[in-house]
Amino acid sequence: MNLKRAWRIAARDLRMGPRSPIFLYAVFLPIVMSFLISAVFGGLLDPEPTLGITDLGSSQLTVAARGLEGIAVSLVDDAAELMGKVKNHDLDAGLVISDSFDAVLRSGGSPDLDFYISGESLASNRIILAVTTSELITEVAQAEPPIDVSVVAIGDESYVPIGDRLLPIVVFYAVVIAALFLPASSILDEREKHTLDAVLVTPTNIYEVLLGKGILGVFMGLVMGVVSLLFNQSMGERPFAVMLFLLVGSIMMAEMGLILGSLVKDANSLYTAIKGAGIFIALPVIFIIWPTLPQWIPKLAPTYYFLQPVYDIAINGATVTDFWLELGVAVAICLVLLPILAAVGRRSETRLAWAG
Amino acid sequence: MNFGVISAIFRKDLIVFSRDRFYVFITIIGLVAFVAMYWLLPDSVDETIHLGVVQTGMDTLFDGLGAGDQGLEIVEFDTVDQLRGAVEDGTDGIVAGMAFPEDFLDPGTKPTVDLFVTAALPAEYEKAMEGLASQLGFLVSGTEPPIDLATHTVVLGIDRVGNQVSLQEQMRPLLAFFVLMVETMALASLISTEVQLRTVTAVLVTPARTRDFIAAKALMGTILALTEVLILMTLIRGFVGDVPVLLLALVLGALMVTGVGLLAGSSGRDFIGVMLMALAIMIPLMIPAFGALFPGTAATWIKVLPTYGLVQAIVGVTTRAASWSDLSGDLAMLAAWCLVLLGLGTVVLRRRVATL
Repeated sequence: MNLKRAWRIAARDLRMGPRSPIFLYAVFLPIVMSFLISAVFGGLLDPEPTLGITDLGSSQLTVAARGLEGIAVSLVDDAAELMGKVKNHDLDAGLVISDSFDAVLRSGGSPDLDFYISGESLASNRIILAVTTSELITEVAQAEPPIDVSVVAIGDESYVPIGDRLLPIVVFYAVVIAALFLPASSILDEREKHTLDAVLVTPTNIYEVLLGKGILGVFMGLVMGVVSLLFNQSMGERPFAVMLFLLVGSIMMAEMGLILGSLVKDANSLYTAIKGAGIFIALPVIFIIWPTLPQWIPKLAPTYYFLQPVYDIAINGATVTDFWLELGVAVAICLVLLPILAAVGRRSETRLAWAG
Repeated sequence: MNFGVISAIFRKDLIVFSRDRFYVFITIIGLVAFVAMYWLLPDSVDETIHLGVVQTGMDTLFDGLGAGDQGLEIVEFDTVDQLRGAVEDGTDGIVAGMAFPEDFLDPGTKPTVDLFVTAALPAEYEKAMEGLASQLGFLVSGTEPPIDLATHTVVLGIDRVGNQVSLQEQMRPLLAFFVLMVETMALASLISTEVQLRTVTAVLVTPARTRDFIAAKALMGTILALTEVLILMTLIRGFVGDVPVLLLALVLGALMVTGVGLLAGSSGRDFIGVMLMALAIMIPLMIPAFGALFPGTAATWIKVLPTYGLVQAIVGVTTRAASWSDLSGDLAMLAAWCLVLLGLGTVVLRRRVATL
């Protein structure tokens, strides 16, 4: 095997990449997915209560509200606009604060205040917003509450927002499209257009072609995995550990992609195979999103052995040493796939020779 | 137009479609997956905060707090240890616990209430629970809070507490759109193959004219899309409310995606190229369906997208009991977009066929 020739094939495919829709798909899909998942689905499944404030003076209540954690506070210029937004459920609740609010409140009077609730807001959000607002008013009034509250934190499990739990979907798409789909469609395309025949007439053999396409797949899988994590600001404190698992995962996916691309008859079959096997290789993603499901099931999928470590290292602060076993299994899968890939490559070369 | 010829081309296309393993597979799997997804989604909205309490002598107060659809359910415990365990384990959905000391009702004391929260509790809940304990303190001690927010509260719009639109119901337009999208790709691929392989020129040697060819394709696309979306809507209990309005919207939706299919297919690209082109057109059209998942009014630019009327009709009829008069504007816009896209698709395909 001549590594220089394999490298040349990888470089050629990289140069020609932007002409291929699949290549562009591999580059842009993780970014689009990141946007959809973190912005759209993160907000959908884990929405923050929203509070609009029209402050006709410059109340301390507004300042205190804007410092709240977990409540999205926005300022609205006039009361009519605020009421419209609340009515249309653009906001869960709206607060109109009169210009003399703070002065009247501190003098022990009852200042003007309107609190609007959207009819479509959840009852739980209404309680959160009403109680929190009352608490802030007590603070601004500098009133002494009749009780003290002592907060006792239980357990050490920290809150993982749904946006973070959906992160494996982004990583999954980034690595699978770039490392599996790209080499698979590339080798299939060369077979369909018979450019592979032309390449094999030269001193380059099928193993060098597969290695070249594999190198590009691994490179793209790794880069897109890192890019998607950076895009979501989720590389964590151990970026090299994350990259190690992304690298092993990309190698595994690239090997699978090359085997698939060498075996399938046409693009339809390739899509059918990927769609058909999709639910199997995507299993770990589903089980990370719903951690209460039985956790032995995703271990049946090869993608578990890099997706779970990437997630736990990037989001939960785990280390490589926590995942030695998973790393070993992932490397073993890569090693088992190698002779299969070699056999498929040999078969492919023989077929082309016969066809020629 | 020759209806016999159109019928013959239509039958031929139906056979070609039924032999295409990929689209048959995707159509069946898609339907099964979308229906399964619908039934797996929550069919109700849990808008209640479950709060554990240990208290003595305040039964009446807590019975009143947990009564009705107020969004708060009080679960009482005998001991602090039981409460602590329930909060830690999340028993009965309990998110926090309050332990009121036995001297809480004693006059002249400033008691301390222990608030138990897990580290996983979102920040807004913790602040709200602190506030709730404080407000209870005001209530029990007989001290007036600076402002009684309840007397300043106005609910705007239809009050949906206890009758919220479930995620299942919100997902209906998106699922319908996914089904229509798959059929757009199927039609685009069918046309593209005819253009690529130039079989259309063979068809045009017969008495069939270009308009017959295009009409047959449009008929094929519309019937395929409509059949599948009708099956889906039946299986996801979509036919509620004003069914004729819903049927009209679905027919218009099927016609519209047929126009997109004609446009994408006339490019005559290969399978992957057509898939990506159809996706590129359909992704912006998905935005209104995603938007329907979120509360509030859609931005103006979303309202002018072709699929906005379709989504509004599905959401309006199935969740808000909307009628003809409520949806006439949306349906008119949808019909206009159908004409534009079908017209554009027809013109582009006609020109493409003429160049062959």
